[in-house]
Amino acid sequence: MKIIVAIKQVPDRDAQVRIDAAGKWIEETDLQYALNESDAYALEEALQLKEKHGGEVVVVSAGPERVGQTIREALAKGADRGIHIEAEDLGQRDALGVARLLAAAVKPESPDLVLTGLQSEDLGLGQTGVIVAELLGLPHATLILHVEKTDAGLTVKRELEEGWFQTIELPTPAVLTIQSGGNKLRYATLMGIKRAKMKEVRRVTAAELAADGAAVVQLERVSLPQKQKSTQILSGTPKEAAAALVEKLKFEVRVL
Amino acid sequence: MIAFLPTLAEPEHFSLAEKLLIVALAIASAYGFWRRFGVVLHKILQSKKDPGFHLFPIGKRVWDFFWEVLCQAKVVRERPLPGLAHAFVFWGFCAFALVTLNHFAVGLGIGFLSPTGFFGQFYSYFAAAFAFTCALGILALFVRRFLVRPKWLGEKLSWESGFIALLIFALMATYLAAFFVADNSTAARVLWWTHSLSILIFLPLIPHTKHLHLVLSPATIFLSRGSFAQIPALAGDEDFGLVVGTDLTQLVSLQVYSCVECGRCTEHCPAANTGKLLNPKEIILGVRAYLNDLGPSSDQPLLGKYNSQEAVFQCTTCGACEFQCPVGIEHVPIIVGLRRGAVNTGTWEDDHGGKLFLALERGSNALGLSPAERDKFIAKQELPIFDGTQEYCLWLGCMGGYDPKGREIVSDFARVMNHLGTSYGVLRKEKCTGDPVRRLGNDLVFQQLAEANLEALAQNKVKKIVSICPHCVRTIQEDWKEYGTPPEIEHHSEFLARYASQLQPAMSGEKIVYHDPCYLGRYRNVYDEPRAVAALAGELVEAPRNRERSFCCGAGGGLAFLGEETGERVSHNRAAELVATGATTVAAACPFCNTMFRDALAATGEGAPQLLDIAQIAARSLPTAKPEPTAQLAVESKVPESESPLTRPPGAHCSYSGVIHTTALSHDAIETIQKAADASGLSVEIGNNYIEFDFEGRDSNQFVVEFLRTLAHAVETASGEFRCEVQVEKEDPLFEFFSIREGRLIRQRAVIVREKEEDITAGESSA
Repeated sequence: MKIIVAIKQVPDRDAQVRIDAAGKWIEETDLQYALNESDAYALEEALQLKEKHGGEVVVVSAGPERVGQTIREALAKGADRGIHIEAEDLGQRDALGVARLLAAAVKPESPDLVLTGLQSEDLGLGQTGVIVAELLGLPHATLILHVEKTDAGLTVKRELEEGWFQTIELPTPAVLTIQSGGNKLRYATLMGIKRAKMKEVRRVTAAELAADGAAVVQLERVSLPQKQKSTQILSGTPKEAAAALVEKLKFEVRVL
Repeated sequence: MIAFLPTLAEPEHFSLAEKLLIVALAIASAYGFWRRFGVVLHKILQSKKDPGFHLFPIGKRVWDFFWEVLCQAKVVRERPLPGLAHAFVFWGFCAFALVTLNHFAVGLGIGFLSPTGFFGQFYSYFAAAFAFTCALGILALFVRRFLVRPKWLGEKLSWESGFIALLIFALMATYLAAFFVADNSTAARVLWWTHSLSILIFLPLIPHTKHLHLVLSPATIFLSRGSFAQIPALAGDEDFGLVVGTDLTQLVSLQVYSCVECGRCTEHCPAANTGKLLNPKEIILGVRAYLNDLGPSSDQPLLGKYNSQEAVFQCTTCGACEFQCPVGIEHVPIIVGLRRGAVNTGTWEDDHGGKLFLALERGSNALGLSPAERDKFIAKQELPIFDGTQEYCLWLGCMGGYDPKGREIVSDFARVMNHLGTSYGVLRKEKCTGDPVRRLGNDLVFQQLAEANLEALAQNKVKKIVSICPHCVRTIQEDWKEYGTPPEIEHHSEFLARYASQLQPAMSGEKIVYHDPCYLGRYRNVYDEPRAVAALAGELVEAPRNRERSFCCGAGGGLAFLGEETGERVSHNRAAELVATGATTVAAACPFCNTMFRDALAATGEGAPQLLDIAQIAARSLPTAKPEPTAQLAVESKVPESESPLTRPPGAHCSYSGVIHTTALSHDAIETIQKAADASGLSVEIGNNYIEFDFEGRDSNQFVVEFLRTLAHAVETASGEFRCEVQVEKEDPLFEFFSIREGRLIRQRAVIVREKEEDITAGESSA
């Protein structure tokens, strides 16, 4: 089974993000980067499928030089080889633009399965995987927690709202976008890092892939979220206040 | 020489047949010895060379050899009675070296010690004294093994040990008896032959039994790694720790073949004492069995059939085993080596362990919290930031920066340093030292953490570090050496002990029991300093297991992060022992011990002694700082600034909070504000149309006010209010309100006018 995992390098969760001078992207200097969380789960799913059924896991990622580090980490965790799509303008591309790059890189590999995280931690569009499927003309399913290979193709478990799940069967090749938390992630090992140095990472440029086209979505402006603190004092006797608090926790905050 | 004393009888004449028999038997015996010993030696020499092993400095090796081998100091100190019995046997053997040589020389007609000559007679009596004590010693050891039967020697009776004890006893008895028979008598001949045969039977038995330690352990002690529980550096791209036979080094092989199976390691092991699978002696014997069956060239895994992975990961790396071992086995590097093999190759799977590794791969602390939590703590405690001018860098560590109990310790230690006038600062950013991953065998993450920290310390020009955590101290000082040169570091107990004379004793009549943390005691040899600090507050009592024999709290070796243990909890076992001393206070000197005992003592229920770190004990002697906050029922009255008689007292504690709203901020404005905030060290949230911050701490030089002024100039469209509560010791708080209007910063001040006390609980009956 040949599985391609599309991964993305995103700013680290603990990093201090600032808006750049043009107000259209974030300041990238001195920023810490990491592998997008749901992509890490997609990679884990791929590695487990490989361990069970054999085959090959190829990671593909688009972005500047620094993305190489994240590809190496994926190789260290057990992927067999990597494809680095060199692109400096990822921030300016819309989901379609990124998906075109990925699809163009994936297509000649003719994989049995393409996995990717369901959305990125930075932009959170949740579209890239689905568009890749469309560009490749493959069936797809989103929000996948678990993948099982069957004789006919795949049986996958999707997460729905409110604790509901859906089980779907689909043929291969297919594209799946993976939800976080379905598996336990493996830790990186010294042996993995050493072995990763020997693994192949093929670099292709966006121009070589000839996957450009007009953007359909224009990025207008990025801004930091506004944090609003609101404190309400619940008045009345302790009994009344407690009742009001429970009411709010139940219906406004919905944690009870 | 001295004619009236009996002399040692020797047969004078041996026939040729006898001589040939002696030679034949000696050759057979030596062959029997070599047949097995050669195999063992070959396996040791065939093992991988120890990377980075140096014979120098040789002075310490010579001393260890003299003290531990020749003087039997460790053997005697840690188990006095059996130790002394063993020492008598050992010294007897040493004294007998010359006697035995002469004995066989006599048989071949070339004896060189005349029983009637001056030296010969002197030596025969000298050896007789040793023979006597040796015979007594071996008798005592026989009684211990076969009648007293301590469980550490194993469930099964070792008949080979009994037989060897018999041989040794026979050697000594035949020697002594020869003083009481006539030269050339049949009796003398019988004694001579019995003595000879005992030796010749004993010799080949040595390499086949644990008596191999006779030959190997002097070398093992001489060739130690050099320091306690030292984890060797990995060598080359294919070294992942102890994975298969080819990873076993010469030192490891030498050590496992030296094991005398005395069980001292197991007797002191916290895991073995609380019903875990781990038994350090069995780990060593497991590796030995591997070498016996498969040898050092095998590519079969070391974990599995011969040693269990579960057991290896139950070790707290407390080092009690290694400290106790009389034959120089270094258990910690072997156990950590096996863990490295499992973790570095990814074969160890554990939910908690995996989570810890992932947290430290990406994050900064072992608790998996956001570094912003540490920032908040630093701001709240008004800990100064290290800027290169202070003497000490106060290293918080994960516990000091994130754990509630650890934070209390840091705060109190900071108070003591403030009181002493010591200049110190904390790093803005700090990563875990890597202690838990180092001990769990994750070299990848450890290297990342050590390198990042070393770089940060170098950038900040840190020269001296002080830390409340013995694990941080050990890891920084010893383990980081693999990746650079760490700054000087000391534990806060060493710091506090140095200044103990400047701290007022606050005698309270308490009985205090001090618990020695493994990483401060056995690992760092610091026992008296924390006791000196604890003694400031009351009378010290000792737990049965103290100092070098202290019993672990259960947290070391990364185990604090691995979730529930099997069997009895180590911390409960130790806490019960501390409580049983009748102490009213348990003093600890490690944040890990503190948290383990906090939980364990809570489980003992009512009447548990209070738990304090030595920093907290030291801080109790300081003049009291901030009073408890008083009731906040108050009326605020606004006083115009011009008329205000109020000035802000220096050193007052200020808490600022507030939001100002603006129209869309320009990029330049954001940059100016950000720069001003960075300059003053404030953590400011800048939104597109609002600016918000909280600050708690001293604002003696009014840098927060300065920041607000910059803000007012930079953002002309801003409007809003910041409130600042100024708290002075024992006085009513005073309030300042900063409002920004049309590019100006307006300050208003207010005091609390407190109304008369009124009991408002009266009349409440069913609330």
